[in-house]
Amino acid sequence: MIEKLYAIGMNDAMITSSVLTIIICIFAIIAGRNLQLMPSGLQNVVEMGVEKLHGFFENLMGKYLCDRYFPVVGTLFIWILCCNYSGLLPLMGKAHGMQAPTSNINFPLGMAIVVLLLLQVIGIREHGGLKAYKRLVSPFFFMLPLMLIDDLAKPLSLTFRLYGNTFGDEEVVHIFGELCPIGLPVLMQFLVVLFALIQALVFSLLTAIYIGEVCEGAPALELAHHKLD
Amino acid sequence: MTTGIIAIAVAITISISTIGPALGMGKVGSSAMESMSRQPEVMGELRTNMILALAFMEALTIYGLVIAFMLLGKM
Repeated sequence: MIEKLYAIGMNDAMITSSVLTIIICIFAIIAGRNLQLMPSGLQNVVEMGVEKLHGFFENLMGKYLCDRYFPVVGTLFIWILCCNYSGLLPLMGKAHGMQAPTSNINFPLGMAIVVLLLLQVIGIREHGGLKAYKRLVSPFFFMLPLMLIDDLAKPLSLTFRLYGNTFGDEEVVHIFGELCPIGLPVLMQFLVVLFALIQALVFSLLTAIYIGEVCEGAPALELAHHKLD
Repeated sequence: MTTGIIAIAVAITISISTIGPALGMGKVGSSAMESMSRQPEVMGELRTNMILALAFMEALTIYGLVIAFMLLGKM
């Protein structure tokens, strides 16, 4: 089975991420299959989590942007969290077809490129045209090369931050395991649980902040602010 | 001979790229703690901003780590 997947060019990280996608989809379908006005059980738990996440991003982006773009940043958060935590399973990185997706550099790079393209789309959509790129030359024209480099460095730093952290954590756990197989890796894994959460948070947080940056001064946003006052 | 020099370069890369951000993160952490104890009602906002600042600093260390791994690959 796995040999067939290797033959069509899939690697361990892709296999794990596909399996994770299917698991998350099935979970979401089960949780949302029989929606009730008075939630109970699984629906209650999932709704609570989503509401907490929504509140967090609402504080950060404002109500208008959060209502529109919460699906993107929320999905990024849940997805990266699941990928990072999959690295804690036993035999991860050792057995065939099992590797935490975020510890392969192509995976964060892909997500960062998607975020970069998405930012352009969101900017153009909110400003209604090429006015979105006014921010590149906003104080004066000489800022253009600086702002361009800044924009292009965003996906790069997103990639290296996520990849470096996950890969580094994994390596440290492996090295600790070789030094002293009993006890020592567990201590490090407590830290990994924390770091995985923080990295997922940071990726989605930065995406949210970039979205806010791109949409600054958009007419609809100004209108929403005006209504609030 | 070359592998020895590369090994030393790896050690110097990762240690120097850790020192700077570590100092900065210590400063951010301590002042965030101070502000939280002075004004506990803005704790949530402060924590978000602190994590953000820490993430930016940590990226510098990660650049060093990536370079170190690249050098290790050349050994």
